[in-house]
Amino acid sequence: MAEVEETLKRIQSHKGVIGTMVVNAEGIPIRTTLDNSTTVQYAGLLHQLTMKARSTVRDIDPQNDLTFLRIRSKKHEIMVAPGTLAFHFLVKSSFCFTR
Amino acid sequence: MKSCQTASIVTADASAQVRNHADAQVQTEALEPVGVQPPSRCDIPRLAAFLRRVEAMVIQELNKNWQSHAFDGFEVNWTEQQQMVSCLHTLGYPPAQARGLHVTGISWNSTGSVVACAYGRVDHGDWSMLKSFVCAWNLDRRGLSPQQPSAVVEVPSAVLCLAFHPTQPSHVAGGLYSGEVLVWDLSRPEDPLLWRTGLTDDTHTDPVSQVVWLPEPGHSHRFQVLSVATDGKVLLWQGIGTGQLQLTEGFALVTQQLPRSTKLKKHPRGETEVGATAVAFSSFDPRLFILGTEGGFPLKCSLAAGEAALTRMPSSVPLRAPAQFTFSPHGGPIYSVSCSPFHRNLFLSAGTDGHVHLYSMLQAPPLTSLQLSLKYLFAVRWSPVRPLVFAAASGEGDVQLFDLQKSSQKPTVSIKQTQDESPVYCLEFNSQQTQLLAAGDAQGTVKVWQLSTEFTEQGPREAEDLDRLAAEVAT
Repeated sequence: MAEVEETLKRIQSHKGVIGTMVVNAEGIPIRTTLDNSTTVQYAGLLHQLTMKARSTVRDIDPQNDLTFLRIRSKKHEIMVAPGTLAFHFLVKSSFCFTR
Repeated sequence: MKSCQTASIVTADASAQVRNHADAQVQTEALEPVGVQPPSRCDIPRLAAFLRRVEAMVIQELNKNWQSHAFDGFEVNWTEQQQMVSCLHTLGYPPAQARGLHVTGISWNSTGSVVACAYGRVDHGDWSMLKSFVCAWNLDRRGLSPQQPSAVVEVPSAVLCLAFHPTQPSHVAGGLYSGEVLVWDLSRPEDPLLWRTGLTDDTHTDPVSQVVWLPEPGHSHRFQVLSVATDGKVLLWQGIGTGQLQLTEGFALVTQQLPRSTKLKKHPRGETEVGATAVAFSSFDPRLFILGTEGGFPLKCSLAAGEAALTRMPSSVPLRAPAQFTFSPHGGPIYSVSCSPFHRNLFLSAGTDGHVHLYSMLQAPPLTSLQLSLKYLFAVRWSPVRPLVFAAASGEGDVQLFDLQKSSQKPTVSIKQTQDESPVYCLEFNSQQTQLLAAGDAQGTVKVWQLSTEFTEQGPREAEDLDRLAAEVAT
């Protein structure tokens, strides 16, 4: 139990991370650092997108499988580590260090 | 003698009847708040094993992301780029223009498809008792006729300000020269007047400078009207069933009760009321508002203020003193204030000295002061989508768009609204269709401008730039 919390805390406190959440195979959030409504919204939307991405990869090559998914938007980046559980985390935009 | 007769008229009869019909009912549902779902307890060892497996990869990806320059300068355009600012519509109501009425107030409705304007005169004199109008055009309707508004309301006195209801697309409130506040329903052309304050002891004794809709505390879907006037009163009205607007809360600004956070010019003896000329509510704290005054100093006020006002003005509800902080003044009366929708402490004010001041609520002197006009500035508004952009309406007939990211000294775009340099009195951004900006001028014309894409799409990290601007300019 402590190991789980520690791992999550390590990732959450990494530079640039805004929020993290862990979602099970049905798309229900198990652990989250964001508020409830945001979590529910992200979990539902990202679950569908992750399933779609995975089926796309496997349709192209059945021996292949999805290892990581990154969605880059103007304001931030969403990263998804899939598996039987899936791990989503939200990162602040990190391009352009200097102006 | 001549006689004439029409040729015989041919008639025919036919009847029609529907053979099949079906009934259907449609009703919108009030939006349910999102249900709170507790995170379910799953088995911890599986979760621990999963995290152990992915942690290394996740950390590696995060590091790569932070150090990567792959997307530097990469921008995606989803919509067609508009390079120039263009005038989409030029609207006017000829009977009002023939009387020489100015457009004194402008408002977009909650769906962003209807723009309404109020006609009146900014310089009063004998025009105060003249009939004036409130006109509305539905821009999404096919066959839009620029000289024929889709709704016209005749008003017995000059209308000086206008505000559409935040959720009801056809309700609009207006403040009159006589001090009254009226609410109309534009979907009822035969009898549009919904509520009025009437001329009671509670009504303003001076022309109403601005009206604003506020959500009722506790009932977020019901709204009240707040009106401010140069008699120094800030009044909150509630519409009751009989068509009457009833006073629920009131505030009065009295010189002796102004917080002494900054030195003010001494008021001549006998004048204790401070005239309010503009109001703007904070988007972050619904009870916090900024008042612009005739004395040129903005005031930070709160609806929750409890101290009684030292005034002898009659009122059915006790009047309170709302001011909590006084900011450094402009060189003349303020005509317009606007609170930033992106930063909780920043607001703009503009007035007769032709300057726009950017204030932070944390300090009395302004963060910056920009001279935009040699004449008066009548309106200033923050952009609803770009944190660093605002627009100002000048007495020289220009609408000036400022982008603090590009230049902090001069406007990025200056749009000439009137050909003869007659002033532009009001402007409003459309928060639903963010490329539209409506402005009304002294010639009685409303122009709807389509802004170029640079003004409608937020760039990356703009909110952070605004924070940095607020922090670095403050001493």
